[in-house]
Amino acid sequence: MQKRVYILGGFQTDFARNWTREGKSVQAMINEVMEGAFAAANIEPVEIQAAHVGNFAGELFTMQAHFGALVLNYDPVLRGIPTARHEAACASGSIAALAARTEIEAGLHDLVLVLGVELMKSVDSKRGGDYLGTAAWYEKECKGISFPFPKLFDRIYDLYNELYGVDYEHLAQISAINYANAKRNPKAQTRDWYMNKQHACSTGEFNKAIGNTLRATDCCQVTDGAAVVFLCSQDYAESYCARHSLNLDDIPYIQGWGHKTAPILIDDKIEDARKNEYALPYTRRAILDAYTRAGISGIKEISCIETHDCFTITEYAAIEHLGFTKPGEGWKAIEDGVIEFDGSCPINPSGGLIGGGHPVGATGTRQLLDACLQVTGKAGDYQVPGAKRVATLNIGGSATTNVVHIIGAGN
Amino acid sequence: MEMLMRGLNKVAILGGNGTMGSLSGGIFAQADIPCLYFERTAEEAKYGIEKAVKQAKSAILREYIIPKTYNDLEKELPDCDWILEALSENIDLKRGYLEKVDKSRKRGSVVSTISSGLSIEELAQNRSSDFKAHFLGMHFFNPPGKLIANELIYHTDNSETFKKNIYEFCEKVLRRANIIVRNIAGFAGNRIGFQLLNEAAVYAELLGVDRMDYLIGPYTGRTLPPLATLDLVGLDVHRAIVQNIYQKTNDERHETFRMPGYLQKMIDRNMLGMKTPSNGGFYFKDENKERYILEPSTLKYRRTRHVNSEVIEHVKQHIHDGNYKKAVSVLKNDKSEEASIARHFILGYVSFSFFRVGEVTPEENGIHGIDRVMAYGFSWMPPSGWVDFLGGPKETVRLIEEADLPVPEALRNLPEEKLCKIPDIPRFLIAV
Repeated sequence: MQKRVYILGGFQTDFARNWTREGKSVQAMINEVMEGAFAAANIEPVEIQAAHVGNFAGELFTMQAHFGALVLNYDPVLRGIPTARHEAACASGSIAALAARTEIEAGLHDLVLVLGVELMKSVDSKRGGDYLGTAAWYEKECKGISFPFPKLFDRIYDLYNELYGVDYEHLAQISAINYANAKRNPKAQTRDWYMNKQHACSTGEFNKAIGNTLRATDCCQVTDGAAVVFLCSQDYAESYCARHSLNLDDIPYIQGWGHKTAPILIDDKIEDARKNEYALPYTRRAILDAYTRAGISGIKEISCIETHDCFTITEYAAIEHLGFTKPGEGWKAIEDGVIEFDGSCPINPSGGLIGGGHPVGATGTRQLLDACLQVTGKAGDYQVPGAKRVATLNIGGSATTNVVHIIGAGN
Repeated sequence: MEMLMRGLNKVAILGGNGTMGSLSGGIFAQADIPCLYFERTAEEAKYGIEKAVKQAKSAILREYIIPKTYNDLEKELPDCDWILEALSENIDLKRGYLEKVDKSRKRGSVVSTISSGLSIEELAQNRSSDFKAHFLGMHFFNPPGKLIANELIYHTDNSETFKKNIYEFCEKVLRRANIIVRNIAGFAGNRIGFQLLNEAAVYAELLGVDRMDYLIGPYTGRTLPPLATLDLVGLDVHRAIVQNIYQKTNDERHETFRMPGYLQKMIDRNMLGMKTPSNGGFYFKDENKERYILEPSTLKYRRTRHVNSEVIEHVKQHIHDGNYKKAVSVLKNDKSEEASIARHFILGYVSFSFFRVGEVTPEENGIHGIDRVMAYGFSWMPPSGWVDFLGGPKETVRLIEEADLPVPEALRNLPEEKLCKIPDIPRFLIAV
């Protein structure tokens, strides 16, 4: 039997912070998240054998690349370790984790630091929106278009509307749930924002249309933030448990994962969608791969989900792709309250991207951290009672790169 | 108090057009509680509603707030579960309205005042016993949409159940960071905050406005420099606060609450800060948005000078890079006059805060109540955050002694361990 890869916890920054207003660099964010992570996991920097960093567009937002090397500035004892920066748009953080897991499984390292980071409030929203367009095929889909991404996800909304019909109130409900959950999370970007379904259903000055259909409340907001998780081998986890008087059964590990890439053009995706049972077939395949690797039958064996809700329509699609309902019936899970905080399988107890914030390169790592907090009972006010197994779905671009992790603890 | 648990039917806001009335009422409306905004005219009340709408960034709030005039008080108050008094900081005016409230309110309804420093007991004098049992001070900070601190000043006639229910309601429904404070002039936040602000104004007479704001700028653990803060607060409000504290308290730094003479002259000339843009305050912007600086000796404005100090820039660079320990180390050890002034204010703030433990907040809460009000009400580095950054209680005591400032026993007796419970304190060190 293949040895397990464990996660020893980590840390995230407060996603409500604006680092540019604080006059701080992305290095400051890296230093803070690493300090918090080492303290939270009770690990010394000298133990780290490699580092993988997820970052989407540091060159554009901060004129800084080479993020793997920035990790070493935290402490001179890290000098010499192998590092790499990974970019897969909004899935960058998960891709960094996949690389770390692979290295541990290959026996190359025992303890690897995975860090996701993005500083985005350095530019105005129009320019930031343009930079985000590089997550699609910029030249063909985004060049010269103001806020291109809401418009790309409008196309997914249009597709759903055409195939099954969409009641906008269901999207508003998704938004309201994520904001409500965020109020429980002390590090969520929107924890102190005013929001309810009534507001999400409203239009006008305070809830403008961002795409053709999608409104401001359907979109996650520009966020600065970073998150760290420590991945380790079974051998390291055993010695870690012995040192800290912990039980290995209580340490989260990666039970399954899936990783599929769809064609980058939205036109190609829509063409694929029309030939498939599921609108996002590559997302579905990544999910099924993860379930298979975890040895589970599906959503019924999952306690809660941290999914990618860059837009409400993304979560709306995720509901059926994760297997809550048949295709085209995701609205039933919304109406039945299944995905609400006190539902049978809550989605985004942290607030997700809409409520919690979406620092692009950090989101995948943040989801893994939240999954760990849930299965170890350390999620505080947003703890889902008795959570044993959590699935994360992290999507880059217009549902292009799809990464799923299943995190659980115990046997 | 059952209504607090089952949800309030209606809240009355007296002074619905003022900044604190409109925005604090908005916090109730944001919790889906219907509100009545009372003003002299319905138009003024509607203006206040728009401020609450803007704070929440949602037109939905208009559905929760109804404009009313003071002529409607008698008719409407019997239906209200909570009456929030947010009138101007004038004790006679407040008492006059509280008398009217007492006559019309239903038994058991909560009455709170948002006063930033007036005595709760004096405000409730001559009121009915049911009024007193349900009356308290609830001091929000401006703007309450961003600053979540809430100083709770209980009346001596409040029952323990009442206090507990109010505390929970404010925390869970209004999402406030509560701080229980004593009924003493300035309460906790203003007593401590305005000591530093007034002393900065005193120093500005010698060192210049721009130099002072540079030396005690955001890198010393605050969002805004002190004199820019006073322009935002308004010099008339500043005078009311420091005079009240000066008259009613007598602490080890009593004289730092004496307002410098040039501030009185500014007030006489209606140079109150941002509320009088055509007259200015410490700063003045002309029609081209060019910024000018006040010369305290002449009360005339001059052009901005480039103020710079090698050591301060060095500290800010470390903060920018996220090397906070190095930043504090430079600040602690540098021998320049600039670093010495910065230390005087930082250590003075720490010293003054620890001296107030037990006086402005309950002794058993230690420094933590004061930490919360300074962090969540002023957006300043909490005093115990400075103690942690400076190297712990013993090292901080040494630095306070070296700076020739009074050493509080409450600090001297602390164990050498991490003190600050406020998360993410580096966010208060700002390198702009």
